[in-house]
Amino acid sequence: MRFIGLRLARGLLTLWFAVTVTFFLVRLLPGDPVLAVADPNMTEELRLKLLADFGLDRPLGVQYIDYLGQLLQGNLGMSFRQSIPVTTVLMDRLPWTLILTASAMVVTILLGIPLGVLAATKAKGWVDRVIQLTGVTAQSLFVPSVGIFLMYVMGVWLGWFPIGGAVDLDATGFAATLSMLHHLVLPCLSLVLIQLGGYVLTMRTTLIDALGEDYVSLAKSKGVRPGTVVWKHALRNALLPTTTIAGLQLGTLVGGAVLTETIYAYPGIGRAIYEAVGQLDFPVLQGAFVLLAAAVVVANLITDVAYGILDPRVRTS
Amino acid sequence: MTAVAVDLTPRQRTWTSFRRNPLGVGSAIVLILLALTAICAPLIAPFPEGYGADTSQPPSAAHWFGTDDIGQDVFAQVVWGTRVSMAVGVSASVLAIVIGLLIGVSAAYFRRLDTPLGVLVDLSLSLPVLPLMILVAALAGPSVRTLAVVIALFSWPEVARVVRSQAMAIVPMPFVSAAKVVGGSSLWIVRKHLLPGVIPVVGVSVVLTTSRAVLAEAGLSFLGLGDPNSWSWGTILHKAQQSGALASAWWTTLFPSLAILLLVLSTTLLSVAYNDARNHRNGS
Repeated sequence: MRFIGLRLARGLLTLWFAVTVTFFLVRLLPGDPVLAVADPNMTEELRLKLLADFGLDRPLGVQYIDYLGQLLQGNLGMSFRQSIPVTTVLMDRLPWTLILTASAMVVTILLGIPLGVLAATKAKGWVDRVIQLTGVTAQSLFVPSVGIFLMYVMGVWLGWFPIGGAVDLDATGFAATLSMLHHLVLPCLSLVLIQLGGYVLTMRTTLIDALGEDYVSLAKSKGVRPGTVVWKHALRNALLPTTTIAGLQLGTLVGGAVLTETIYAYPGIGRAIYEAVGQLDFPVLQGAFVLLAAAVVVANLITDVAYGILDPRVRTS
Repeated sequence: MTAVAVDLTPRQRTWTSFRRNPLGVGSAIVLILLALTAICAPLIAPFPEGYGADTSQPPSAAHWFGTDDIGQDVFAQVVWGTRVSMAVGVSASVLAIVIGLLIGVSAAYFRRLDTPLGVLVDLSLSLPVLPLMILVAALAGPSVRTLAVVIALFSWPEVARVVRSQAMAIVPMPFVSAAKVVGGSSLWIVRKHLLPGVIPVVGVSVVLTTSRAVLAEAGLSFLGLGDPNSWSWGTILHKAQQSGALASAWWTTLFPSLAILLLVLSTTLLSVAYNDARNHRNGS
């Protein structure tokens, strides 16, 4: 229980840090947020009125306390361009981003484990070399490049998958679910390709270490079948560092999702960010970051607690 | 390899074993060629601007990489893009290394600073960086300088962490205590004893930070936060996205993508080769 409490406190601290950093960055940077909503040639009188309307004329400390209070009530301010609350704009988009990132993560792990096992059991052989080199190359890929490539080959050229959107709007019931999955394939695959390398390489290294442990030699000498040794004994321990990687790569995954959604016109938070950049809608950009940071903190909390359940040693240290 | 190796300094040994790795040498050559392209861009191709007669042409002898929807030469865009992409990458990386080095060394040397700086680094590393960079770049307005500063501002924690862990191993060494005993000032000890010890790790860090900075620049420019008056690889992709050429004119996106891949892949392989060469003791 104490372990979960500590992790929770850490998550809250991270969130407070994220919120505070954005608040002060937005206020202290040279750009005048009022200029973004109105004509740069407006009168001084109008400028002051706009500042008062957005509450930007009060002392910084007061604004900060007010901002934190509003956040606690789930209020992220008003969108400059759409005159609706930022929370409304983003909450419509959040489920799509969650579907995309979660599916990408599941597929990455499902592919990453067997590939890592293959590389580790064939260590130093040509299969291992190929997997390693591909892993390093995959880590060097630029997300939009992968997305565009897949879109061109499997969407335009072969015509297997739709190249934009998240679902057919006129489909209902089961057909809608199918259409959703159909639209999900290419964006999800783009994210999987850039994530996979990291997982496979970590899996490989930790599994090679685990295979050198005493308990593996013991199991082998007892006559346990090699397959069972790898999959039942060594893999279970090698999975733990892989959990850590999943936590560490969350930031990359979120960044990747922003870029992928932009390419596939996928209606998630990332696409909202792209649209807000074009319209200089700062409250949406700020809210999107706070929301994504919160999602990462929650996901990290889940991984940490899962790690604690899987490995009792973590709970005591 | 027995009698001769004894006389070599560690640096010479690293160099000898690095030269034997074809992947490392190949990557270094690719990087040098890219840097030359960046420096000599005006000699290779004219600056792409205005409208051309041949719009959306596939690659041909006249236009090696084809032309975009307003008739500009994609080859010229990629060549000039090398300049901005590499300039932003290198300057962001240098800035991030300087900040990371300062913070990392201070955390390791001044014990009281370690906890607050460590928490700061941990917190920064656990946030999704791209959305934060987008927010700041949008507020500060698009320019090459903004991009470099913004990327550096969010890339130093990685460097600080690596530097700190290396410096931590040096601080308890007897020669550091000895230097303190003879009355050396903190600044002098850091400069004379700590910095030389962490420089090898920083070497790898420079290369990796640069490639990450190039990717970050490409990402921000792709989203429309690039400098509107200059070309970078990300800007080319952004323009292709905006003109709807993503799904039709493959040449407008393939060549800048290959350029990014070439640069990032060769920096990664270079740092792998350098690490292997430095660890020759436990290697083959």
